[in-house]
Amino acid sequence: MLVEEKMKTNKFLVVVTEEDFLDLKVKNVNFLFPILGYSVGFLKTFPITEVKVPHAYLYINRILDHEGIESLKKDLLLINENIEGICFTDLGVIQVVKDLGLSLQLFYMQNHSTTNVESINYYLEYVDSVLVSTDITQEEIYTILDKVNKPLLVPYFSLVDAMYSRRRLLSNFEEEFELEKKCEEILHEPISGNDFRTIENEYGTVFYASKYVDYRSITHDNILYYYINPLGLDKDTLLKVLRGEDRSEKSTTGFLDVKTYYRLKEGEE
Amino acid sequence: MERLELLAPAGDLERLKFSFLYGADAVYCAGKKYGLRANADNFTMEEMEEGVKFAHSLGKKVYITVNILFHEEETNGLDDYLQALDKIGVDAIIASDILVIKRAKELGLSLEVHVSTQASILNKEAALFYKNLGVTRVVLAREASLEDIKEIKRATGLEIECFVHGAMCTSFSGRCVLSNYCTRRDSNRGGCAQICRWMFSMDGVEFPFSMTPKDLNLIQYINDMIEAGVNSFKVEGRMRGIYYIATVILVYRRVIDLVLRKKLRESDIEYYLNILNRVANRESTAQFIDKLPGKNEQYFLGREEVSNQDFLGLVLSYDEEKSLATIEERNYFKVGDMVQFFGPNIETFNYKVEEIFDENNEKIEVANHPKMIIKLKVNTKLHPYDMMRIKVFDKPKHL
Repeated sequence: MLVEEKMKTNKFLVVVTEEDFLDLKVKNVNFLFPILGYSVGFLKTFPITEVKVPHAYLYINRILDHEGIESLKKDLLLINENIEGICFTDLGVIQVVKDLGLSLQLFYMQNHSTTNVESINYYLEYVDSVLVSTDITQEEIYTILDKVNKPLLVPYFSLVDAMYSRRRLLSNFEEEFELEKKCEEILHEPISGNDFRTIENEYGTVFYASKYVDYRSITHDNILYYYINPLGLDKDTLLKVLRGEDRSEKSTTGFLDVKTYYRLKEGEE
Repeated sequence: MERLELLAPAGDLERLKFSFLYGADAVYCAGKKYGLRANADNFTMEEMEEGVKFAHSLGKKVYITVNILFHEEETNGLDDYLQALDKIGVDAIIASDILVIKRAKELGLSLEVHVSTQASILNKEAALFYKNLGVTRVVLAREASLEDIKEIKRATGLEIECFVHGAMCTSFSGRCVLSNYCTRRDSNRGGCAQICRWMFSMDGVEFPFSMTPKDLNLIQYINDMIEAGVNSFKVEGRMRGIYYIATVILVYRRVIDLVLRKKLRESDIEYYLNILNRVANRESTAQFIDKLPGKNEQYFLGREEVSNQDFLGLVLSYDEEKSLATIEERNYFKVGDMVQFFGPNIETFNYKVEEIFDENNEKIEVANHPKMIIKLKVNTKLHPYDMMRIKVFDKPKHL
């Protein structure tokens, strides 16, 4: 299937990292709003009651402590009727939504733990969909898409997180060396040559792999949404991405064709 | 009060035995497959069976980590592995992938399933999710506060396991793949290259960026944690040696017992902190239990990892008639040195080395070959597996 065809026939779930994305007149796009107080890794967040776009999704990607989840219980009672569902990473959210009797779609977005068919199918007993891991190969993704029981979310052209810490790592560093306070930095790792876009708020610090993963080659009938975290892209560039125009200089296919390993000793079973 | 457990790391059979001898109620270790320390020695099935038999002979327990996040290719063989663990009498597995939890339940195994700290549990609803899958214990995220612990315990009734000592991830455990990006080694399948201990740079900033956390040390919070409902106090360090294991486990054993007998004094904590700090190669702090860690809980410039050479010898035997201890040397010592003996069945005591005899009962002045056998005349009764270390701190008399 050509990318243009895909754009016409498939649905995209786009994180609202810039407010003017909401002006995009593109069919098949649903917006995902990082929610103030409940999300990490975003510079722009939205109060939960101010998400008024039709068929919107709430992004709650914090790991929630007791105080956080108690607060969420209260705030979820205030959401508008336009809210279609919640994308989350803390499994406690499932119980909260159930206890509150809310009729919302639930998408599990902890993409490091959605690496095999069976685990995903177990999660799908409790949620409507899950985001397929960006830590696995294309072959593994197709195996999963072939065998899982419900349509999944698949990254399309997206920034993906490489680390999430509860610590305020940028603030700690800036405080130690009396540097100007910033919420975003690019960190360079000199040995591997990797850069990481790093964003901090009061709930923690997220390291993103600095290149966008480009999974636009993946097509399958069992995809519910193509997921896009366009952090760092402007509206025009996002539009080009949605149209399938090339952004290769800032993108990578990630682990699609790069297998990771974990044993150093050869021949160990 | 519910059962309290001191849970020790065991990188191999020797360390498993030392953990138990020095006061652990249970150990956790990994087999050759499916554990997050893929490059440690780990246990063969036969070694695990021997470890389980040894533990059960003492009325103690063995937990096996099956805590990787599985890729498709690893799922084959999992059932056989779990059934084999069950057959040899492993008491519980520690899992993070929902696949392992479900499989263990579907197979009708008698071993218990504990949820790993990799699941990042900080609230009761997340804990209930796993309780409904049939797990009996949750290992909370190291980011848990006392309030989080209390609420989870109160609402779920699950057994609560918390790390109290040892190294920490910078990230929520399980939420980091920096290793995958920088080295292609998959952190969630046991290949973590500890990128969070590397140095980074930032444009326009002269200082290197570092995010390495100091180690965790909750010795001062044992009483609070017991009151909050913690059942199992877990020490990190499957790669650590027997001296570290023996020292740390014995300190926590003594402190837990003193707390339970309501006899722990402030000054005791100071003494035990000194012992723990001395044996560690990094600084340690309480981290998340009472606050959000700031800059003082991590390293920036000038991090030192000190190699500890306090461990002088391991007692192999003791001849009561001659008051003669046979000792395997581990680090240099000489006549005139002030040392200390400690062990699970003795009160720690100071000792001045007046004479050293070699294996042939010849007098020598120094013990300077690792693993050489020497003999010392010691009037206080010693036991095999007691240890001798440099005397740095005096034990308070009442302890």
